[in-house]
Amino acid sequence: MGEGETMLVAWKYRKRENSFIQSFDPRAWLIFYACYLVGLVTFWDVRYLLPFFGVALFVLFTSGVKWHEIRRAFLFIVGFVFFFAILTFLTGRGGVEHYQQEHLIRQFKASFSILGWVPTLDITVERVFYAISQFVKVSSLAIMTILIPYSLDPRLYGITFKGLGLNDKFAYAMDLTMRFIPTFARDFQLTVDAQRARGYELEKLSGGLVEQVRKMGPIFVPVIIHAIIGSEDIIDAMDLRAFGIGPRTWIDVLERRRRDDILIRIGVVLLLASVMLGVLGLGNFWVPDALLTLAGG
Amino acid sequence: MSDTPLVVENLSFRYRDRTDTAIRNISFEAKPGEVLLIAGASGCGKTTLIRCLNGLIPRSYKGEISGSVRVFGEDTSTWKLAQISQKIGTVLQDPERQILGTRVLNEVAFGLENLGLPREEILERADEALRFLKIFHLRERETFTLSGGEKQKVALAGVLAMRPSILLLDEPLASLDPASAQDALDTARFLADQGMTILMVEHRVEDVLRIKPERVMFMSGGEIRYLGSLSGLSKVVNYREVKLPAKEIVERAKQDPPPAEIRILPGAAGKGESEALVRFEDVAFGYEADVEVLHGINLEIRRGDVIAVVGPNGAGKTTFVKHAIGLLKPKRGRVLVNGRDTREASVAQIASTLGYVFQSPSHMLFAPTVYDELAFGPKNLKHAKEQIEQEVKEALRIVNLSAQEQDPPLALSFGQQKRVSIAAILAMQSRILVMDEPTAGQDYQNYMNFMDSILQLPTFEAILFITHDVDLAVIYANRVLIVNEGRLVADGTPQEVLRDFDRLKANRLVPTSLLALNLERFPATGRFMKAEALAHI
Repeated sequence: MGEGETMLVAWKYRKRENSFIQSFDPRAWLIFYACYLVGLVTFWDVRYLLPFFGVALFVLFTSGVKWHEIRRAFLFIVGFVFFFAILTFLTGRGGVEHYQQEHLIRQFKASFSILGWVPTLDITVERVFYAISQFVKVSSLAIMTILIPYSLDPRLYGITFKGLGLNDKFAYAMDLTMRFIPTFARDFQLTVDAQRARGYELEKLSGGLVEQVRKMGPIFVPVIIHAIIGSEDIIDAMDLRAFGIGPRTWIDVLERRRRDDILIRIGVVLLLASVMLGVLGLGNFWVPDALLTLAGG
Repeated sequence: MSDTPLVVENLSFRYRDRTDTAIRNISFEAKPGEVLLIAGASGCGKTTLIRCLNGLIPRSYKGEISGSVRVFGEDTSTWKLAQISQKIGTVLQDPERQILGTRVLNEVAFGLENLGLPREEILERADEALRFLKIFHLRERETFTLSGGEKQKVALAGVLAMRPSILLLDEPLASLDPASAQDALDTARFLADQGMTILMVEHRVEDVLRIKPERVMFMSGGEIRYLGSLSGLSKVVNYREVKLPAKEIVERAKQDPPPAEIRILPGAAGKGESEALVRFEDVAFGYEADVEVLHGINLEIRRGDVIAVVGPNGAGKTTFVKHAIGLLKPKRGRVLVNGRDTREASVAQIASTLGYVFQSPSHMLFAPTVYDELAFGPKNLKHAKEQIEQEVKEALRIVNLSAQEQDPPLALSFGQQKRVSIAAILAMQSRILVMDEPTAGQDYQNYMNFMDSILQLPTFEAILFITHDVDLAVIYANRVLIVNEGRLVADGTPQEVLRDFDRLKANRLVPTSLLALNLERFPATGRFMKAEALAHI
């Protein structure tokens, strides 16, 4: 295919046999997903988070998505999550709002000092558990989110949002937006390639932050302009075919079955339970008492 | 109600942010069953006229409009776009930009869905349009997997499903390979023969002549310069402005002095025997692990080569050519540029010897002025300041944009932007030039001029360009490659490769009148040349 393409590209959706996630009406799945998210963000207690993680893993392994399809995106996100968990662990920042007191397990002190400062790493029970909780929580979120574009049929985006109660225009706009993301990614790549062919080296950016951002102009300006021009064409094309003049018919029909109702109910129960536990003050950051005693607390 | 589908009277329009009018005093009528060809150079007002007819002006594009557009006797100025779109269907220039649906059926049904028709009726009408255009088999396909020709038919089906009486086709041939273009033209003729009124804006006049449009309108400077039968066109327009059939050009050019001889690649002459500048050794590539799109390409680009790469849409031409600058690295085999494996050099390093012009200018233009845009490449290559100034001025002269030096490139027309994108690479003074469809979206006179100039530049030792225009290969190339399904199907001189019409057809290429004339005269000329030059032999 030529590189001058401007049309919308779809996500890597495929109809997958025996996929658990795809066996539901997309509306039901999105409702469940929203409930799951609220539940997930309510808790910091790793004992409460693990069941969520378990659900995420179950959905992942029954999704029918092949490892090679998802590998790059997945490694990137898990790597990112892992990096941040480690970072908060090392600095001890991030968890401070959840615990006031720390219990030292071991302290590492560097054998050198920098301008009088001796780099020190305190390994405390709280930091270890905060890192674990953070990793479990964000991984669950990432897994559940990343599976959606692989599992939701792009031609049903519009009708799904419509079915969730959005109006026609908004539902179609959501549909276009969802599909705009991969298109944007491809345009970005084309621009990077075109500028590299003019001797531009993204790797060799130097200078301060402002200078670096300025030097990214050759990439950002064309990408943004392209997006604007592209959207003007899309608007023309929509206008020319009577978009938005009145109530719209959607030729795709979604079918809500029993299993969808069950899923929605489970989602709602999960949501209510989470909110209730949260209100009762349960599910906050937790470390095992045994460890505290061990650490001499 | 009048029987005449379209009557335009004294139509003028000025865009809100411009001082000059885009079109002036346009008056014409169009009849049922007629193909009206609208031709003219870039910026002549064709697109503005189309927008006035389909209602985007003044509804989406604001400005000052006067005169009237009447459809079956009714003035459309008070109509809503939805009402107009059921009478006047428009297929925009680039079908890819107007396809909204993920699946072919959704795309075709889009307009009908918006009209809020009952679901059964929509499906019925969508299927009818698909069958009518003989693309029912594409119904369930995802639109981004379609070829260029298929996309256009799908876009057309989406418009036809709304059952318009008038069809506006804005440069329908621009992105199509010759066989798909022919197919698109046949479809237009067929629709007209069914009683539709077809207005077709197209640069490629010669191609459209094959379907015998009833009338031709020639626009220039926002006005109609000619409106009448085909036979009269060649008498009023200059053969350098519009591409006419080769025999007509020969007739007309006889009265003019012979064109200047083109000395191609003066920089390559006298530099010794054909040394390989670029070498492909058994190059195979695939974007995904298990799908190979290039299968073992072997090729040498030598000093003095002017290579035209031709072949169908989606044949792998761009993928193949991107290997030359290292943007893609082979999965198997290797590519050597100046003896160096592209795996071991950065793209920026290769760019100093090999300049690559991308197909679409909008992916690279960013600078506040044309001058800065052109200086970007040479600066990255660390050229000296005075040298850069000289390189930029020279490049601007070649593409005929010296007057726009201080203009923002993003404010220029598409054709001008395309020329800026070419000049941006020319300014880098590389030894090898690679261009992906350099003439797409350009008018005939402009692209012939800059091709003439580029070919005669002293800096280049070899040039390679991808094109759908067989005549460019005939006129400018001394070597033609046919690429199809990821393979090099033919490689030889134009006379060797283009002589075999069966092979051309098998690769979705269509012999042109210029090719036929050159082959006929070949015993006397010994080489291929422009029609103007043939006139004097």
